[in-house]
Amino acid sequence: MSRLWRRNRHWVTPALFLLPGLILFGTVILAASIETVWISLHDWDGIGAKAWVGLANYVELVDDPQFYVSLKNNVIWLLIFMLAPPIGLALALIVNQRIRGMRFLKSLFFVPLVLATVTVGVVFGWVYDPNFGLLQLVFSAFGATAPALLSDETFVTFAVAAAALWPQIAFCMILFLAGLNSLNDDLIAAGRVDGARGWRMLRHVVLPQLSQVGFIAIAVTVIGALRSFDMIAVMTSGGPYGSSTVLAYQMYQESIFSYRFGYGAAIATVLFVIMIVFIAWYLNGLIKAERSNV
Amino acid sequence: MTTKLAALSTTRRRFLKGTGAALVASATGGLCLPALAQPQDITIISNLSNVEQRQILQRLATEFEAKSGGKIVINNMDHEAHKTAIRSYLVVGAPDICFWFSGNRMKAFVAKGLFDDISDLFARENYKSVLGATTSAVTVGDKQYGLPMGGILWGLFYRKDVFAQHNWTPPKDWKEFLAFGEAAKSANLVPISMGTKELWPAGGWFDHMNLRINGLDKHIALMDGKVQYTDPMLTPVFDKWNDLLKAGFFSPSHSSFGWEQAGAALAQKKAAMMDLGGFVRSAFPEADLPQLAYAPFPEIEPGVARYEDFSVNSIHVPANAKNKQGARDFLAYFYKPENLGAFLAAEGAIPPRNDCPPSHDPLVNTAVEELKKVVATSQYYDRDTDPDMAQEGMTGLQEFMVKPERREQILGRLEKTRKRIFG
Repeated sequence: MSRLWRRNRHWVTPALFLLPGLILFGTVILAASIETVWISLHDWDGIGAKAWVGLANYVELVDDPQFYVSLKNNVIWLLIFMLAPPIGLALALIVNQRIRGMRFLKSLFFVPLVLATVTVGVVFGWVYDPNFGLLQLVFSAFGATAPALLSDETFVTFAVAAAALWPQIAFCMILFLAGLNSLNDDLIAAGRVDGARGWRMLRHVVLPQLSQVGFIAIAVTVIGALRSFDMIAVMTSGGPYGSSTVLAYQMYQESIFSYRFGYGAAIATVLFVIMIVFIAWYLNGLIKAERSNV
Repeated sequence: MTTKLAALSTTRRRFLKGTGAALVASATGGLCLPALAQPQDITIISNLSNVEQRQILQRLATEFEAKSGGKIVINNMDHEAHKTAIRSYLVVGAPDICFWFSGNRMKAFVAKGLFDDISDLFARENYKSVLGATTSAVTVGDKQYGLPMGGILWGLFYRKDVFAQHNWTPPKDWKEFLAFGEAAKSANLVPISMGTKELWPAGGWFDHMNLRINGLDKHIALMDGKVQYTDPMLTPVFDKWNDLLKAGFFSPSHSSFGWEQAGAALAQKKAAMMDLGGFVRSAFPEADLPQLAYAPFPEIEPGVARYEDFSVNSIHVPANAKNKQGARDFLAYFYKPENLGAFLAAEGAIPPRNDCPPSHDPLVNTAVEELKKVVATSQYYDRDTDPDMAQEGMTGLQEFMVKPERREQILGRLEKTRKRIFG
């Protein structure tokens, strides 16, 4: 017995450790994804029998103006979210200084991370409220009227994404702060000996060491932008008249409110394909980084 | 358990074992904790948002427990979330009693065999004699699948003191309505308070205009998908609605907020009237309630009989319920005139039974009186038409209210949806 164990333990032990994760990943992620693709080829109301329709859902999707609205909004989200890594980096550099009271300031910047996204959504919903919102108060202090951001089809997506940007910046800031704490002191000392100060120190000594963290921050931000859903649900429910939906929200709406699970699954599949491009890029980067570390 | 471990001189292995055991214990213990219903228990899923109603339901449940010896478990859900959750829980994990909406939305589940036929309860308690015509709201093919609950008569609500102050009377026809709107605007009031964030108020406004212009039969034909959304019969509806929009009759940026905030504007004397059901009372402070009054939607096309939206909620026994007999017994108790009356009075709804004690709420009594003058009723846009169509339709109507110039486009899109759903 013990010989059998000794001979096999080099693979049995890791396999046993991996098993729970693999089972979970297999059922919750893999099987569910495959089933989603399968459902997207059917007409299904979520309760009754599924009827095979082939690619009809996708054909309809291509012809659906709402789909393009969602797609466009996803791009807007992506672009706005790209502000999070640089702003997060800037904040990290600032709060990393040894100045009195900085610790307190740092914890203030952490606040949005502690709040649930839904809370952030509700709070920003009030800020934007055209009748009693903070924005309206600021505008009226100057004798102007604030635009009703959440009822304006052009601004609504920007307004919602800006609200979601707040916790995202805090998240990037924490990533960069962690990166700043693990900087190599020798390199910095060497840079100082060579006369690097201020900007040049940052540009040539500090930033290169943060490239790993920066990569993770960007990748996480991209995925965060693509799966945006909760803020939209809380702040606008996709409105006014569907002009703030993104693919994830449209999928939810078609499946849950319109009872079209097949069509919803088709949207989910498209979103999945878009995401997989970014995930492949992310994994590729991770693997490359790991190899270069070895 | 963990504190004990910390006291020991822990090796890593021992610590791991200990936490493992603690985890298993908490996991299995956690499984036993929630009040899992025993077969003789009765579980209820309620979607009530009214606190007073929840308390009354709880009281009735406790009374029934004392009488029958069984246990009743009530799970409260958020009203909007319940609309989506019901689809899954009716299939897996059905309670013994659940709240829903009668009419078409009930029929969708009856067609899928998810609601239990409770005609036996109707016969046993002789409900048909006290319900009269309301029975039809829960009837599919001569069988009853639920008990009708409170009815909501939709119409225009206003504050008596505001109307008295400006010497206004509720407008009776379209000309008066337009004049009233101008008067309200010059008094710095929004003529019609409306919040369309949740879409349905736009659907209701469409209902009322269509019922006043085209009448009930044509309206129902549209709801059943038998009339195209591009049909010329709808032209005057949207023309007249457009006039109102152009004249600024509705709350500005109404898509930013829901009916609660719109109701508050009415209560705070910032708006003159509001299109809603009796539940508008929840937006009013207790002291202001006597000021609240009802007026029917004005006549538009002379000669069209008076039809109104009258939506009836309902309560059901799911087909997959475990304790169907217990559910029936509790429903019979719950549905006693005095119990049902108290429950419905809390939300200002109209009781379906004609033997409920007379209400102390003048609004309910007005609604009961008004209902006698109504020739026939529909339920509400999202209760009368297919849910898929309703979603698309209400979104389109909201868009029309914001961008009336896109009318052709919107109606074209709705027609496309109608064709896809109804063929």
